[in-house]
Amino acid sequence: MSGKSEISGYMNADGKFGIRKHVAVVSLSVFSNVATQSISNLVDGTVPLIHPHGRAEIGMNKKNLETNLIGQILNPNVQSALVVGYEQKTTEKYLTTLSTLTKKRVESLVVLEGGSISAIAEGTRKAMELSIEASEVRRETIGFEDITLGIKCGSTDATSGIASNPAVGSAVDTVINLGGTAIFSETTELMGAEQVLTKRAVNDTVAKKIYEIVKQNEMFAKQQGVDLLGINPVPDNIEGGISTIEEKSLGAILKGGTSTIMDVLKYGEHPPAKGLYIMDSPSAAQEVLTALTSAGCQAIFFSTGLGNPSGTPLVPVIKVTGNMKTVKKMRDHIDVDVSDIISNNLSYNEAGKKVFDHLAAVINGGKTRAEVLKHREFSPIPVGL
Amino acid sequence: MKAFKKIAANDNVAVALEDLFAGDVINVGGISITIRRDIKFGHKFALEKIKIGAPIVKYGEVIGETTEIIEPGDHVHIHNLRSLRARSDK
Repeated sequence: MSGKSEISGYMNADGKFGIRKHVAVVSLSVFSNVATQSISNLVDGTVPLIHPHGRAEIGMNKKNLETNLIGQILNPNVQSALVVGYEQKTTEKYLTTLSTLTKKRVESLVVLEGGSISAIAEGTRKAMELSIEASEVRRETIGFEDITLGIKCGSTDATSGIASNPAVGSAVDTVINLGGTAIFSETTELMGAEQVLTKRAVNDTVAKKIYEIVKQNEMFAKQQGVDLLGINPVPDNIEGGISTIEEKSLGAILKGGTSTIMDVLKYGEHPPAKGLYIMDSPSAAQEVLTALTSAGCQAIFFSTGLGNPSGTPLVPVIKVTGNMKTVKKMRDHIDVDVSDIISNNLSYNEAGKKVFDHLAAVINGGKTRAEVLKHREFSPIPVGL
Repeated sequence: MKAFKKIAANDNVAVALEDLFAGDVINVGGISITIRRDIKFGHKFALEKIKIGAPIVKYGEVIGETTEIIEPGDHVHIHNLRSLRARSDK
């Protein structure tokens, strides 16, 4: 069946295949954003990574920021990177770490050595050379064993659990059966569904880890002294018919398909082997998509009920909906319409094939709505639940 | 007949797949249920009488507990269904 799809990718210096060949222009600090954006505006083939951080973070915030800034550059869709630092010392530290983790070409500059205008001139020349080099890389045939797929759902309504999530889940099963890897996430949205997921854990240790991350998440929510209602499910979920976190979770986990769960990954961690993984992470789209990019996903399925415009700087995000109203109202942000599940009894397998075929097309260079509209949300310090 | 979906055999709610209106009669597995209040697409209605503090089951799993007595055909949502998880009062 769908397994016959021919797919191709671009090899990078780390010996991995990307489905894009971006030159990432990465801001290390809020004060480097102007230079980063300007350089990327001037140089074709580059993508800017902009964020409001990089000054005086401590503890988990600092760790997550570093994981994500480095993780974006390690992502297979990146051919090379220009690191736009603010001051010398931090910039050097990043470059040293990167040199131990990647063979990709990484250029750098420091804004505090002459100001933004000089940085833009220097960075534009460096990015231009990287872009020309990346432009010469050609596609070659790859297999699904070369693919790591992220899975996310967002702007959930009652159609998510009965249409788009099972359709995406069916496509994920196909990818796993073809030897691929997939990661789903959003720990809060496992709450109330642990008893279903743990049955699919590869062993007791992994089952315990699933219970443990959800327990930690629930304790954190309780410590804040607030009910999850109105936070998760969010108001648009409730409007769409979702009443409780358990209901949302039981629908949400269907997007991961039915494969064995190999392990629980830390936030932004790369899967150590093939198969299906859970990553411990918050559930807001921009935070999950950033972490899935850091974990090495080359493409991300995004199942949605009410529609959602979000994307990432480096990884194509494929929006799938089963809500016929959303297909009309949010058409500019929907890549795959599986609303026939509800209106015409389309089976989950058939819908899954439609989603899988679209994935193959995107892997081969077909652009997603979020890519074309430059939805490049990047949120390297997660703050949500 | 109006479209709805009962997901798992032991569910005590079903999902409206189109807007339902008070008075609509739905046939679920041979049993007629009269919809008691307008129910929007994607929202849930009760398939049986459910006691206060009893579990609501969807996808074959518990999604929360009732906060009032629910009659067949009632809209089941945040006004009469409450999560059992991450509650600050528990």
